[in-house]
Amino acid sequence: MSVVLTYELPPLVTTAPLDIHRSTVKPEWVDWNGHMNVAYYVMAFDQASGAFMRNMGLGRPYVDNKLGMTFVLEMHITYDREVRGGAPLLFKTQLLDCDAKRVHLFHEMYHADEGYLAATNETIVMNIDYATRKSGPFPAQAAERLAKVWEVHRAMPKNPKSGRLMGLKKK
Amino acid sequence: MKLPPYPILEPNLGAPLDIHRATVLPEWIDWNGHMNVGFYVVAFDKATDTLCQQFGVGWEYTRDKIGMTFVLEAHVTYDREVKEGDPLRITTQILDHDAKRVHYIHAMYHATEGYLAATNELMLMNIDYATRRSAPWPDWAMERLGKLAAAHKGLPVPKQAGRLIGIKKK
Repeated sequence: MSVVLTYELPPLVTTAPLDIHRSTVKPEWVDWNGHMNVAYYVMAFDQASGAFMRNMGLGRPYVDNKLGMTFVLEMHITYDREVRGGAPLLFKTQLLDCDAKRVHLFHEMYHADEGYLAATNETIVMNIDYATRKSGPFPAQAAERLAKVWEVHRAMPKNPKSGRLMGLKKK
Repeated sequence: MKLPPYPILEPNLGAPLDIHRATVLPEWIDWNGHMNVGFYVVAFDKATDTLCQQFGVGWEYTRDKIGMTFVLEAHVTYDREVKEGDPLRITTQILDHDAKRVHYIHAMYHATEGYLAATNELMLMNIDYATRRSAPWPDWAMERLGKLAAAHKGLPVPKQAGRLIGIKKK
């Protein structure tokens, strides 16, 4: 039996890409090189994944009501340009793929005022059953919302920075 | 050979490098009751500092305004949860390097239970302090990097290295 989401769900956004998350580089995210530390890019991207899950109806109340959780399985980050303390950040998110229990996302992080690309994050997030702490299908209400996003995003061209393998290109 | 103005270590040639230890701090835990994805990378970044110390480009390298090291790209696999207070053991294997970059992979284990918790593959580049642009490794770093890479050359490449992300269809 599918889990029923008993709390109020936010209005669904289906623009392609999704542009629903903003952030600011906090002073404690800056390291001895005077820029945002690599790990805090991931923290900022994780919050953008949180915004995607919230749009599906799987935000914090999903966990607080002990209905389920979402776990990140894997991610790939490209660090394209530095950002400094206080810089405003804007995120664009594309749904690259999905199935009954996983979403494959591609986030781009931009400096919100200067407009340059600072980093990208490709990630897979899985739905987790609260009681068993094992993977399980998305609740029906969330799956329905996901299908509506997928309908719009599936036609988007894949970002050339997605699907990257790491290595030193020898000349 | 040009040496830095601070003391540097003789590199540890154990393969993989197995000297970094950490503990999951209370502030690394999120509302799911486990270490948050961002803090796995905080823990891995500290293991990168340990690696950089091995070839003489640690904290003093930046303090003395000689250079810095920037991560260009990273891949993380989250293999199993860790909880508050868990002891961590992080090993590091150099996969490749050139005149200004090093490609390596960290593996994070639960130090007492032994299971693999996560991996982090990285590409790190040397940066000139004044120009903030990429530059060749200093002599001392290149020499030590060569020794470490030679020591790691015989290791099998972990299956988590060189991964593509995707949802595998059945």
